[in-house]
Amino acid sequence: MMNLQGRRAARGTILAAVVVGVACDSSESRPLIDGGALAIQSRTPIDVASLGPQVGERVPEFSLPDQHGETRTLESVLGPNGALLLFHRSADW
Amino acid sequence: MELQDRLEDLEAQGLGVVAISYDSEEVLADFSQRGGITFPLLSDDDSRVITEFGILNTVAAEGRGPNAEDPEVVADVAKYVSLFGASEMIVGTPYPGTFMLDRTGRVTSRFFEEFYRERNTTANVMLKLGVGLSPIAAIEGSTAHLKLTAYPSNPSVTVGTRFSIAVEIEPNANMHVYAPGAEAMGYRVVSLNLTPTPHVRFEPVEFPESEIYHFEPLDERVPVYQSPFLLLQEAVVAATPETEEALAELDALTLSGSFDYQACDDEICFPPVSLPLSFTLSLDLLDRQRANR
Repeated sequence: MMNLQGRRAARGTILAAVVVGVACDSSESRPLIDGGALAIQSRTPIDVASLGPQVGERVPEFSLPDQHGETRTLESVLGPNGALLLFHRSADW
Repeated sequence: MELQDRLEDLEAQGLGVVAISYDSEEVLADFSQRGGITFPLLSDDDSRVITEFGILNTVAAEGRGPNAEDPEVVADVAKYVSLFGASEMIVGTPYPGTFMLDRTGRVTSRFFEEFYRERNTTANVMLKLGVGLSPIAAIEGSTAHLKLTAYPSNPSVTVGTRFSIAVEIEPNANMHVYAPGAEAMGYRVVSLNLTPTPHVRFEPVEFPESEIYHFEPLDERVPVYQSPFLLLQEAVVAATPETEEALAELDALTLSGSFDYQACDDEICFPPVSLPLSFTLSLDLLDRQRANR
């Protein structure tokens, strides 16, 4: 979270430097050419903890084939006390 | 696969178990046969469900796009995609993580990592959730004041493994040990002190909720533990190339240190005790085997 705020603060400084036209601190300066600044402005910092369903929220429904070709839905994988739902990168590498 | 090893424990808790990736049914069938997997591995081969969940790793595509040279993108690629750059095969994968759901499909807890090379083990997730875990390779001991059972969540680890050392303590009848907050009154709080090693990062020890003990002669109210309780020391095997290289030369990783406490009963406070503890974890090489095609 601190990191996120730090990044936002750094970006705010760059924007201010462009508007007022003063040189900003070298540690925070970026080349502001060829629309580079715009691209940087539009980038959303990644915060994995804020992505996807949060505690208390219901996850989306799904319907996907398993390794035996059998279709599984959220409903069908829930046990009497719920489920552990793991997202992993790949079984292949 | 560790999740398979814990399947019985999870099912005994009434939990379904399912894993989702972008692999094809064929790759999953091969993997499941090789690894003896009996729970469903779901094929989200167009990453549609991963995207609907909102956990698609967008940094992978960014690292291959027009902003690939942006220092922020470069830093995020190293953190969320790969230390070796954004390769095509990572596009379409999710940020890896685990959701625990209740019977209606609501999230009760979630475990996602800030660095792609670090992974929570299933056993560690279970310990943190308080889901019953049958200890493997436990150290058992008893003193005049308490009984202690200490064990690693996982008998084997690899680079990036997030695991725990669990210490279950059962104070003897009428005996109590001190919880955080008691140090202000001059008591020694229970602590687990593992010696730092260059390849393992320790997180702060998690203490369970304590109760207040009223010591009438001094009219003192002190936070203590008098019923069985669990201390969790979470640890992460460093996921750097240096550690990976160093561990390749080793057969096992040893963590040692001590469990320290001071116990008192209703009349006497005993001198502080330090119990030495040592855990040897075997090292797993990363699974580099791929499906035959």
